[in-house]
Amino acid sequence: MKQLIKASVAAAILALAAPAMAEVVVVVNPKAAESSMTKDQVAQFFLGKSSAMTPVDQPDSAPVRAEFYKKVTDKDASQVKSLWSKLVFTGKATMPKEVADSAAVKKAVAADPKAIGYIEKSAVDASVKVIYSAP
Amino acid sequence: MNKRILASMLALPLAVSTAYAQDSSPVRISGFGTAALTWVNKDNAEFGRPNQAHGADKQPTTGVDSNLGLQADYTVNSWLSVTGQGLVRKDAQDDFGAELTWAFAKARVSDDVSIRVGRIGLPVFMISDYRNVGYANTFLRPPAEIYSQIPFNNIDGADITWQHSFGDTTYTAQLAVGHSKADVYGGAEVEAHDLTALNLVAEHGPLTLRFGRADTKISVNHQTALNTLLGSLRSAGAGYNLPALTTLAGELAPERKKGSFTSVGAGLDWNNIVAQTEYAKRKSDSYLNDTTSWYVMAGYRFGKLLPYYSHARLSIDGTVANTVPASCPSGYPAACTATVRALSSAVGTLKYSGLGQGAQTTDSIGVRWDFYRSVALKVQVDHVHPDAGNGLLINVQPGFKGPLTVGAVALDFVF
Repeated sequence: MKQLIKASVAAAILALAAPAMAEVVVVVNPKAAESSMTKDQVAQFFLGKSSAMTPVDQPDSAPVRAEFYKKVTDKDASQVKSLWSKLVFTGKATMPKEVADSAAVKKAVAADPKAIGYIEKSAVDASVKVIYSAP
Repeated sequence: MNKRILASMLALPLAVSTAYAQDSSPVRISGFGTAALTWVNKDNAEFGRPNQAHGADKQPTTGVDSNLGLQADYTVNSWLSVTGQGLVRKDAQDDFGAELTWAFAKARVSDDVSIRVGRIGLPVFMISDYRNVGYANTFLRPPAEIYSQIPFNNIDGADITWQHSFGDTTYTAQLAVGHSKADVYGGAEVEAHDLTALNLVAEHGPLTLRFGRADTKISVNHQTALNTLLGSLRSAGAGYNLPALTTLAGELAPERKKGSFTSVGAGLDWNNIVAQTEYAKRKSDSYLNDTTSWYVMAGYRFGKLLPYYSHARLSIDGTVANTVPASCPSGYPAACTATVRALSSAVGTLKYSGLGQGAQTTDSIGVRWDFYRSVALKVQVDHVHPDAGNGLLINVQPGFKGPLTVGAVALDFVF
């Protein structure tokens, strides 16, 4: 019995920790010219510093989003929001398009050779090309 | 501009936003705002943002730092978009008024080049385009010492922007041309003719560097007190045959006079260190002062809390020389000397009167707390030291003696 409790507690902890541990990868259309990018290059698109590619975002509430911004841009959600509000309200850029989940990111990226998105590593399939893996 | 019409135009995006909320829609509605209370510690001077008719006194007021902006972006196709932004705040008139801040069409000519035509932001400061967006800034309000030096928010014209990344550094060059007009409290109006503004920015990781230069011909229209003084100088010049007075009136008169604004800025957001600084030189051929203005702001992020300190200064570099003689040549009527003395003292006060005229220093401490998604709470205390004259303080009563302490609490949000 005791062991069962221990096991379920351990399982619960693992389950809780799992979303935060998810590995994030950055994906583009398989037809895109780039085969790899540096962290800073990826960050440029998601921080509005370059419009050469079109970033696709995940919802505010998705753990993969917080993970991506922390690892790739070294910024938390409110810092990123503050940065974007500078660009949006000057009419320089519009907020990245937000889609529901990793499946929707893959769909958007597969449909647009200029799109760039991020998903959990486990969600990668042949419809997209991985150009950066967050450590 | 009819304020009621503008106000209903501002409400319109709110009404359509529910209908077009989906991400696939070509229309994007976004907004920003600040709800704030501002007060000062003395009752014989008021503190306002540049160009406000009334400021804060001992009674906390919402009028100084509160505002609400709404923006609609309509993507026509892959290269063309249209943006409109309205802002409600208290400015030259003493009520919350709506103004059309931007209304432009933007064409993306290539990945690096875009052209905008319409009403666009005037890029003379580091944060010119988003100075009213509290959420996008660390401090509660931009330092008046430098932001009072140009009364224009936007220009009607066009600009071209080139942006390119070489390695990890992004370069942006922007050139704007156009015309601008702004109401000034007290019923006057400032106008910039043949305005050109160049804005160069380099961003490398956490560091941003900026250089800006704007050139224009400035007119100040309908400024009654100034026009009366210039009229008196001219009639005394003609009546007493003192050509120096007529020449001086011509030098002071703000009629299509050359003006320039040169500025540099730097911003840093490195690990937990946040810093921002700007330095600017204003030059003008009319009674408007030649000035130097600058500020330094630094903060340190402790998780969601960001305490900061800033120091800002506005000083007068030069004015049109006061060439009114101390007395009239012998043989002139006695009234002549009395007249020129009165004129001389009136000319002498010009550098301390009117919008952005004067000199002062401000020390500010504050804290920004990002306590919730898209909302930040700020508390800021400013210690304002006006130099000779009343600095940039408004509605100053006789007997006021600086410094003045200003307190403010603000809730900034974006949606």
